[in-house]
Amino acid sequence: MAAPHDRDAGSTLVAVDIGHAAYAAVTDPDTAFWALVDRRQVDESLRSGPLLQRYRAQREQFARELQALRFELKPSGVYLNPTERCNLDCTYCYLPAAQRSRGSHMSERALLDSLATLRDYFRSVMGDSDRKPRAIFHGAEPLLNRDAVFTAIDAFADDFAFGVQTNGTLLDDAAVEFLTARNVSIGLSLDGPAAAITDATRHTWANHSVHDKVLSAMERLRGYGSWSVIATCSRANLPYLTRMIELFHAHEVPTCMLNPIRCTMPGAREVKPSDADMSEAFFAALDRSHALYKQTGRKLVVANFANILLAILAPTARRLMCDISPCGGGRAFFALAADGSLYPCSEFIGLPRFNGGKLLEGGVAAALASEAFRSVVTRDLDTFAPCDRCPVRHFCGSPCPADACEMNGGMTKTGAFCAFYKEQANYALRLIADDKANDYLWDGWDDGTETVFSLDGDPPTA
Amino acid sequence: MNELAAPTQHEKPQPQGETARTPVPSIAIRKSCNPDGIGLSHYVLMDKKAAK
Repeated sequence: MAAPHDRDAGSTLVAVDIGHAAYAAVTDPDTAFWALVDRRQVDESLRSGPLLQRYRAQREQFARELQALRFELKPSGVYLNPTERCNLDCTYCYLPAAQRSRGSHMSERALLDSLATLRDYFRSVMGDSDRKPRAIFHGAEPLLNRDAVFTAIDAFADDFAFGVQTNGTLLDDAAVEFLTARNVSIGLSLDGPAAAITDATRHTWANHSVHDKVLSAMERLRGYGSWSVIATCSRANLPYLTRMIELFHAHEVPTCMLNPIRCTMPGAREVKPSDADMSEAFFAALDRSHALYKQTGRKLVVANFANILLAILAPTARRLMCDISPCGGGRAFFALAADGSLYPCSEFIGLPRFNGGKLLEGGVAAALASEAFRSVVTRDLDTFAPCDRCPVRHFCGSPCPADACEMNGGMTKTGAFCAFYKEQANYALRLIADDKANDYLWDGWDDGTETVFSLDGDPPTA
Repeated sequence: MNELAAPTQHEKPQPQGETARTPVPSIAIRKSCNPDGIGLSHYVLMDKKAAK
């Protein structure tokens, strides 16, 4: 196969029916280039005209940009697991139950030493960048080791931009005051608009509901700018996604994610919805978020869909690094487990073959070079079917490698929701055709970006 | 390749009389910036400055 920049533009453009009444898309899958053209004039658009001329002039530039995004990034973030334990037993958790129920905390000393080592590593690869590396306290439940976490945040306040992803059950007034005073980005999780729905997948080990505790945490965060809520979409809550959106909007949640369930562990696969059902419920929820925006003037951004829009409009502006191939695991970020081991992503912590070694023994560089990491960072969907022929493959990235391995049989398999991701790309392109894309994105999403191609309102091809 | 990919399950029905409508203008836009995304499906960094 020729390298993308060696090929002629006209020979690589592909027409895609996006289900729009007036528009079809043409894409160059190799460079993530796209355009919307009159669906009756697709053939003409591919043969000649200003679109093709202008794209030919910039094709190599776009190929190089995508190449750099996919293969030349240095890590700038770490997901820190300060404990193996969790006070919940969620159906779909990617961490082994034995760890979550009986595991260990990382000691405060080990956490501080780890952050010092990580600070030095990030300085070595980020140089004098005016942005800080990101350090996110993450699963199992980081606030079970709250004293160590809070000590670390204060000790390294000058060195990292911190975040916490928590189940919200331990987020009391004091915790909220501590975290918000330091502008720590906070993520919560809630799976239903009512306790009976949340309880189906998220509950304590004794099967007690935590729904109301999370709602209380959401109330404490109302008015704060840097927080979000994740809903994991499974068969248990799919009929209620629209009501979820209404609940989040009523609580003034700035950003949410409606994530299709990750299928790394068998428990998750038991409640996986079909792609068709996922699509129907997800797009109804997006439509509801848009209606609420139009009614109130206040956006509730659905970040995982916004990221697909970004992948189309500005590939380098992605905020999430799952929907790209190779994914961000082991190259844009990595994860530190509570036992001090490094993994490409937290999703792999339950899979020992992806252990890249101990941070305080071999260091980050050794982990990045390990076979455990290499198998993830070399998962290139240009090299395996059916992704290699998909016209929207670089808007999607075929997430996630852990899904691909554990559910579908290997790194050269698709992720768990192939058809759903294609539909998201079509939906996003329809929004662009209808000039609605900005309604689904964060205000100011393109601050700091440069427009490198624009063909807006050009007359149809003669 | 210039054949439309297979229609999707969410394809909207084509309106009657589509052939009579005015052709629509082409749209394409691409923006670029220095990449710094580190979010993932378990977490999205929200770094908007807003004190409580």
